[in-house]
Amino acid sequence: MASGNDSTLSLLQGTLDLLILQALAWGQMHGYGISRLIRERTNEVLLVEDAALYQALHRLERKGCIEAEWGVSDNNRRAKYYSLTTAGRRVLRREADEFRRYVGAIFAVLDPA
Amino acid sequence: MNIGRVFRRLIELPTRSRHRIDRDLDDEVAFHLEMRVRDLTRLGVPEADARRQATKEFGDADRFKRVVGREDRSAERDRRLTRWMRDFSYDVRFAIRQVTRSPLFATIAILTVAIGIGANTAIMSAVRGIILRPLPFESPETLIRIYSRSDRLGPTAVSVPDFIDLRAQTVSFVGIAAWYATTTNLSGVGEPERLDIARVSDNWFDLLGVRPKKGRTFVAGEDVFGTPVRAVLSEALWQRRFGADPNIIGRSLRLDGAPVEVIGVVANTGTFPAGTELWTTTRFSPDDLVSSSRGARWLRVLSRLKPGVSLAQANEDVARVARLVEQRDPGHNRGYTAFAVTLQEAIVGDYRRPLFILLGAVALVMLVVCANVAGLMVARTAARDTEIAVRSAIGAGRGRIVRQLVTESVVLALAGGALGLALGVVGTWLLVHWAPPEIPRLDDVGIDRVVFAFSLGLALVTGIAFGLAPALQASRHDVRTRLQTDGRGMAGRSGSVRLRRLLVVSELAVAIVLLVGAGLLLRSFANLQRVDPGFKPAGLTAFTVTLPETRYPKDEDQGRFMERALAALKALPGVEHAAASFGLPLTDTRFQLSFTIDRKASTDPSFEPRGQVRVASADYFQSMGIPLVKGRTFGTQDRWGAPSVIVVSQELARRFFPNGDAIGHYIETGWGRDGHKLGGEVVGIVGDVKQFGLSIDAPPAYYAAAEQWPTDEITFALRGNSESIQLASIRAIIRDIDAELPIFDFTNGESLVRASLAQPRFYLLVIAAFAAAALLLAVIGVYGIIAYTVRQRTREIGVRMALGASAGKILRMVVGEGVALAAVGLGIGVSVALAVTGEIRSLLFQVNERDWVTLVAVAGVLVVAAVSACLVPARAAARLGPQEALRGD
Repeated sequence: MASGNDSTLSLLQGTLDLLILQALAWGQMHGYGISRLIRERTNEVLLVEDAALYQALHRLERKGCIEAEWGVSDNNRRAKYYSLTTAGRRVLRREADEFRRYVGAIFAVLDPA
Repeated sequence: MNIGRVFRRLIELPTRSRHRIDRDLDDEVAFHLEMRVRDLTRLGVPEADARRQATKEFGDADRFKRVVGREDRSAERDRRLTRWMRDFSYDVRFAIRQVTRSPLFATIAILTVAIGIGANTAIMSAVRGIILRPLPFESPETLIRIYSRSDRLGPTAVSVPDFIDLRAQTVSFVGIAAWYATTTNLSGVGEPERLDIARVSDNWFDLLGVRPKKGRTFVAGEDVFGTPVRAVLSEALWQRRFGADPNIIGRSLRLDGAPVEVIGVVANTGTFPAGTELWTTTRFSPDDLVSSSRGARWLRVLSRLKPGVSLAQANEDVARVARLVEQRDPGHNRGYTAFAVTLQEAIVGDYRRPLFILLGAVALVMLVVCANVAGLMVARTAARDTEIAVRSAIGAGRGRIVRQLVTESVVLALAGGALGLALGVVGTWLLVHWAPPEIPRLDDVGIDRVVFAFSLGLALVTGIAFGLAPALQASRHDVRTRLQTDGRGMAGRSGSVRLRRLLVVSELAVAIVLLVGAGLLLRSFANLQRVDPGFKPAGLTAFTVTLPETRYPKDEDQGRFMERALAALKALPGVEHAAASFGLPLTDTRFQLSFTIDRKASTDPSFEPRGQVRVASADYFQSMGIPLVKGRTFGTQDRWGAPSVIVVSQELARRFFPNGDAIGHYIETGWGRDGHKLGGEVVGIVGDVKQFGLSIDAPPAYYAAAEQWPTDEITFALRGNSESIQLASIRAIIRDIDAELPIFDFTNGESLVRASLAQPRFYLLVIAAFAAAALLLAVIGVYGIIAYTVRQRTREIGVRMALGASAGKILRMVVGEGVALAAVGLGIGVSVALAVTGEIRSLLFQVNERDWVTLVAVAGVLVVAAVSACLVPARAAARLGPQEALRGD
């Protein structure tokens, strides 16, 4: 699926999904919450275009990794809250492991011990 | 009741509509931007800058909404479909479980549907094969038949000179061909046989687009006078008579005793005109082409429209040419024009109305079937009130329940439809085999893909139709009431009983319409059977031979053959009288000539004496059993060379002679042979004979003496014990005289009458079968509702009996209810019947379509049927003891 985001530090395919799933692993959250969380945790190094983030959210929802319900936010607005499904949790675990191995392998070459 | 909502649920339209998906996306994006702006302003960014930054960070929001909206919608659809399929397969499995749990209900419902679908399939296959299916020729819709039309006599065939003018002067057609059906004696291979053949112009096969399977068809110039006779065979004849001989091309056949070369074989789809097995060419003689032949209209004309030319334009075109010919030759063509109809119309036009009447009747049967099964479904659904209430209490939506119930009825209907198709195959076979042979295109009748789809579609629609009403009704009531009353709530019940009564009354009404139709046809058939044909069918045997011109060129030759044959036939044991004739009664022999009386031309052109000409030998009237009214019949003195004598029918005498006094007058036609014209002195008057059919008035007719007017086609009529007159012995006699002559149309008097009754009998049988089926179903409906209300009212009946009502009174009360239903049904049915029976007027004979005898009889049948249907439950109710009844329920 084409991501609209290639102007910044481009994310590897699937990385955004991983970030979203991890963010939701900490609890139910709306799209803006996820966006802010990624922004803060990465010290704004990874600039994710919000459109791409939401597109990924909808894709993950359709795949059944996350589910959504409409609720009311703390400022009393209608907001869509996402949470991780069991299937999504499984995907997160698998993808995170794979990513760690991948990064480890890259570092093994870049920084030989 | 919100139909829209039920419907939406029923087919599971989106829980999230397209509009809703878009709104959700809008809200989500708006919320995000608003939150981002809020956070940024909290950090001290001015609001305008914050908004700009938030929008920039978000990226292309419109594109996002478009792309994701599309993807979400498609996912939503997939999800809905999956859910629907899941529900559906669940429903079907549940339905099958439910249906098999009550086998009696299922059996009755399936059989009822099967009867309806079977009957509809059979009739639809006939309508499709005969009327709807295109003729098996290239672009059949552009094939046109051209007729002449006389102001006085209506449509007629075309004369040879008129055909040649039409071919030369019309501009609407790709080509014009001519044909006429005739017969020939095929000999030389096995038993001699008479074949139905067509003589056609050389362009015949090209015009129809029929290509030869073997050899060739006719080429230009092959229909010219003097060219050798060549024959094209049908595939069927080639296989039947010649064992599919691969070397058939070039083989020589004997047709009417003369050698004819076979040039080709065509597939059976080319079997037009009906029954044709062999084709030769017209080869018009110079006599046919002279202008005096314009009066002889016997040729059939076929043409094909040029692309883009309409039938109306073609009609103008042929009428224009006919007008030119009329102006040029008013002597022969005054009052004659020409017109064109599609070939399909020409072949099947007469049968459209009867077939559509059958189709209407079978549609009525289907209505009764639907009402009956709907009644069954209502009863069954009412009995499942509690189950339905529980289901809706634990969260089944109304749509879901309706869908479940409709699925059940569709499962039943499809099972019935499958069985019905099997019945339809049988029904179609019966229809084709019972149908009178004069109905065209019976070979094309069968269950094809269209009929198959029609029947299954009908079953499906039926299932939905009869399932939907009870399902809506059942799901309407409020859950709590029903659960509280444990399904005994009268609120729910009375509604379903009302609906069932309504259904039963409609069934009765429709059954009455069919019964009235069947009754009228029956009365009409009885009238036909009472018709005196004018001859005595019992003890009459007849057969025909034709004498080929090649071996019987002269009248004397034909006369000699006749005499020898008659002498031998008279000697046959069991034969009392033997006679030779031309043209048997009750067949379609039409040979009409006008004549002058005492050689004076008629002064009044509208009063032109004319009549059917028949030829009869001395013993003919005794053989046929036609009574002599006055004067004498032919005798041995009326032989070749003696003064010509004529015997006329009573109708002819009455119509053309003052006081019917024809004897002694001289009548003469314009038609003759060897210089002398057919005619003679009238010596006798005989009874009228139905020449064309029992329902058609006896036409004026006159008879010439066979010994004075020998014919090349001779029908022998034998009177005597028809059991002892065998085809084999007759064949032996004829073979002794001429081994190459085939015998055909071997028949007897009863068969002649039966064949003439075949069509009315066929329509009567089909409609009566439909009426019987409808009545049976309606009676089952009456029984169902009465039995049900008796069960419901057991307690009430008990109270009544406790209060002193006699068993007889209870019986009368229950039967009265059935009679009331019958009365309402009768009232509606009779009014509908009176409004629609005019449609079958064309099938009736001497019966008014508002025949009160029929109406009274039908009313009687209906009341008796309804009362019998009530008797079983009424008896059961009357037998109940009061205590039993009060304890019951």
